[in-house]
Amino acid sequence: MTDREQPTPATAGEVVDRAAEAYSALAELAETIEDEWQYVTDLVDFYLPGIRSLAEPHPGAILPAAQVTAVDEAIAEIALVEDPHKAIDWLSTFPHVVGLALGGDVDGAGGERGPGGGAAGRPATGEDDDSPFGALRGFR
Amino acid sequence: MRFQDAAKDARAVVYAGIQADPLVARAATLLVDATTAERLLARAAMNGERTDPETWRRMFPALFGEDVDAGLRDHAGRVLAASLEVAERGEAARSQYRGALVEELTARLLAGRAGPDAPVRRERRVLFDGVRAEIHPYDVTVESSTNPEVYDCKWGARGINADVLNQLDDARAHAAEEDLKLTVAIVVFDSRSSCELRLDRATAEHAGTRLIALESFDELARGGK
Repeated sequence: MTDREQPTPATAGEVVDRAAEAYSALAELAETIEDEWQYVTDLVDFYLPGIRSLAEPHPGAILPAAQVTAVDEAIAEIALVEDPHKAIDWLSTFPHVVGLALGGDVDGAGGERGPGGGAAGRPATGEDDDSPFGALRGFR
Repeated sequence: MRFQDAAKDARAVVYAGIQADPLVARAATLLVDATTAERLLARAAMNGERTDPETWRRMFPALFGEDVDAGLRDHAGRVLAASLEVAERGEAARSQYRGALVEELTARLLAGRAGPDAPVRRERRVLFDGVRAEIHPYDVTVESSTNPEVYDCKWGARGINADVLNQLDDARAHAAEEDLKLTVAIVVFDSRSSCELRLDRATAEHAGTRLIALESFDELARGGK
């Protein structure tokens, strides 16, 4: 999406489906780096459920235009990536950009095997409380 | 244990020119005071294909939306402008600029808490009695005689590899043999989850190595963990 027209109204579920589809396409590009296949698989296994979880608990809710535009811009950005190494960088970054745009957290839905050996990702409190969403809460 | 300047080869001389570019200092200054969301914007824009700022403003309504505090919006605008300047340096150069930026940001955050008895230095090796010197210098060091620290800096989690982890852990272990607690850390301008996924698969010893990720850069200024 590169023009400045208002986006077509979309539900959370529709926007998240678009993001998940774009993320999967990016992963296919990244997988062409054979040495990084395992890492790419780990990223996708962790983040794809996280992206999908952003539609919950109201997948039928119509999103504000700014949120739809933000996610569509992120999708457009990763669609331009041709270098598989850069695709890996974006596999790590895109979920957080989408999560920030939609006001959700992509780190908590990665299945039973969260990173760091934990059951579900990051600690509930403490050092990582300054998540990207901290900006929305106004602290630096 | 002692610190030593690294010998400058041709690559280091070229890289020193990038490290000295005022753009690196300006971007690092902005990122010292940035929120995690702004740091995410910087990572995305410096990885990005497009350099039109309006594109990125639309992608980050949490930073540039009409309801966002004007001060935060202005600061985020300056972070974005510096990030796009890095992106516009071209594919070959931008990776070096990004690396230099992470190092500069790390050094500045550490310098905020380090006193005169613990100078923050760059590109330094660590020497131990009876141990062959490491080839690669540490990106940033805090050279306290009592609580020394060494940092290896990476733009992305993909940069975490066995060589880096082994060097850090070896240094920690050698210092322990001299009854010295050496803090070793890897600083990555990438999300914590992506780093931890990488570390989960690493076979190199890293239990004693701290991870500073995008969400926790401010820990560098606080220290102690």
